[in-house]
Amino acid sequence: MKKLLTIMFVLLLTVSFAWAKGDQEVSDTESTGVVATEWEIPFLNCLTGPIASIGEYLQWGAEYAAEQINAAGGISGVPVKIVRVDTGMSPEKGTVEMSKLVADALVVMGPVPEPVIMAAVPIAVDEGLYSFTATTSFEYAAEYFPWAISWFSPTDEKLPPIVTAWAEKVEAKKVVQFVENYGAWPGMARAHVIGLEKAGVTVLEDVEVPTDAVSLGPLIVKALAQNPDAIVFSCNAEKVAKIIIELKNRGWEDMNKMLVFSSADDAALYTTGGDKINGVMIYNYNDPNLDTDRWNDFRQAFKDDHEGIEPFSLSPNYYDAVYMIKRAIEETGVTGDPKKLAEERILIRDFCNDVKNFEGLQYDWSNKGGYPADKPLFLFEIQGGEKVLIAKIIPE
Amino acid sequence: MSLPLYYFLAIAAIYILMSWSIYIPYRVGQLHFMTVANMAISAYFAALMAINFSWPFWLVLIAGTLLGALIGFLVSLAIGDAPCFAVVIVGFTFIYLTKTIIENVEAFGGPLGIFSIPKVMQTSSSNRVFLLITAYALVLLTGYLIKRFDRSRLGRAASAIFIDRDLAVSFGVDVKKMGMFLQSWASAVGGMSGVLYAFIMQSISPNHFTFHIVGICMTMLFVGGYSTIWGALLAAPILWGFPLILPEVLQSWNIVIYGVLLIVVLVIKPEGIITRPMIKKLESILLRKKKLV
Repeated sequence: MKKLLTIMFVLLLTVSFAWAKGDQEVSDTESTGVVATEWEIPFLNCLTGPIASIGEYLQWGAEYAAEQINAAGGISGVPVKIVRVDTGMSPEKGTVEMSKLVADALVVMGPVPEPVIMAAVPIAVDEGLYSFTATTSFEYAAEYFPWAISWFSPTDEKLPPIVTAWAEKVEAKKVVQFVENYGAWPGMARAHVIGLEKAGVTVLEDVEVPTDAVSLGPLIVKALAQNPDAIVFSCNAEKVAKIIIELKNRGWEDMNKMLVFSSADDAALYTTGGDKINGVMIYNYNDPNLDTDRWNDFRQAFKDDHEGIEPFSLSPNYYDAVYMIKRAIEETGVTGDPKKLAEERILIRDFCNDVKNFEGLQYDWSNKGGYPADKPLFLFEIQGGEKVLIAKIIPE
Repeated sequence: MSLPLYYFLAIAAIYILMSWSIYIPYRVGQLHFMTVANMAISAYFAALMAINFSWPFWLVLIAGTLLGALIGFLVSLAIGDAPCFAVVIVGFTFIYLTKTIIENVEAFGGPLGIFSIPKVMQTSSSNRVFLLITAYALVLLTGYLIKRFDRSRLGRAASAIFIDRDLAVSFGVDVKKMGMFLQSWASAVGGMSGVLYAFIMQSISPNHFTFHIVGICMTMLFVGGYSTIWGALLAAPILWGFPLILPEVLQSWNIVIYGVLLIVVLVIKPEGIITRPMIKKLESILLRKKKLV
């Protein structure tokens, strides 16, 4: 009898404890007024096709952030799920996929890359859906303000100071630039020129790199014929590596006097270039050698999942995007109620466009009118596949 | 109508028109990929005229179509009777040239492209309905004209050229004039598709008009059947819709599936799924039923 009573008592205790816990869970979401049982955030990404490798690590960043957030209790007590939507880099497919999302999605991440942005974001703008275009340059996102966010400030403002810093450091006098006509790259090349001119450098005639260039020899001859003492690269990572190797074979010695732009900070630069690109300078938005717990954790997790490869320049972008959405939902009191969808979309939009002191993976930043004005840029020297920090420039 | 359905149907209409623009000159055995360049040129023309000069849609559509026809005609003066491989090379060269010119001219938006192409109608929903009706009216019109051509003396002459060019010449068929006519017509259809594309997508960039369109439309035409217009009409919506419903795990195999499909169809049914004898057989069955009724 005594035994039975003890068992009944334990059972009663367990049931009441479980009840109390359930009650507490309800009151957690009740206190925030959240109706959603799961935050579904679609990510229009490029998981197949020519830039699938980039799409993979962007997706990884977003899903890693969601994993961390869920482990810490979710967003307003509700778990978050990143919904994978593959556009395969097809603008046509991007329009159909975006049109499927505009009815229900609270916010959308992507699309990636520019041709899909141009095709799909007008649909989102039309239907009042906010897009996190976190990998494209300011100039693409600005077309859709306030319904799209830019991760970068205007190219003409952000790039010149870092190029000026490089030119002054290496004492460049006559600079030639290799430019590939793709997406935002010519705009970036023009911004480089502003920075070079500010440093008092003579800017020589650009060498245009065709997108489908097979033989780079004639381009190199054209560049060297102008007798430059320094070179800036604004073209595809693999081509940059090949041109540098060819220049080295032709006797170029001062490796510091070569500057690679951020868009070429990709695996192909290091795998193709190997040790031959040692000493070359490169600028970027992230410092891989940053020593904070959060970055170290991200870096290690990335390396674990990518066979020891370091995170790429764009790896943190959608990680940060998920955290920004989290903060927007929590601070504006978004409930996920379908009846309030239109107004809650605007709440998120307005919060993110002017977010203050956002705690990014690498640094804090604030937005004004849909883009950041205070994000730093880093100048590195490549040594054995690693990036050694040379300078950090914070825009005024 | 739901938004995804609208975009599916609207883009399917463009693919049908573009597949037909390859079908038309293929009636004389020429793979005239220049129509993709015509599509790009007319799309840019439409965007610039609508944005900078506020040209109305109908004017842009007619002018864009005529521009395509004019460019097609001028080029056809040189390649009207050229062999298939020469026409293919000219087509690829034009696609490349057009893309390079667009990328390098600031007025065309450079590599960034052109944004915010105005709507034809005031509201988004009426704009969508209008564009969809227009697109399918143009599909019907083009299909009707091709059908009329196929059944005319000219169509039979084109078939003769396709089967045996020398024999056709001995029958008095002017191969060059026929090639010029079909190439100009195909370029007009390409131009028309470009104008529609620009207004449906509302923004364009050089990367929208690349060799991928050639690949997709070729697959649609050769899988569907290149000897009749029904092939592309059937294959375009199916092949375009296919990747949209493919499970995520198979998405990365999309291109492989396309390729395998093309090879299998070419091996098993070299003329494609829908062939001319099949259509004739269907027509005779329908005719017999009609007579019985």
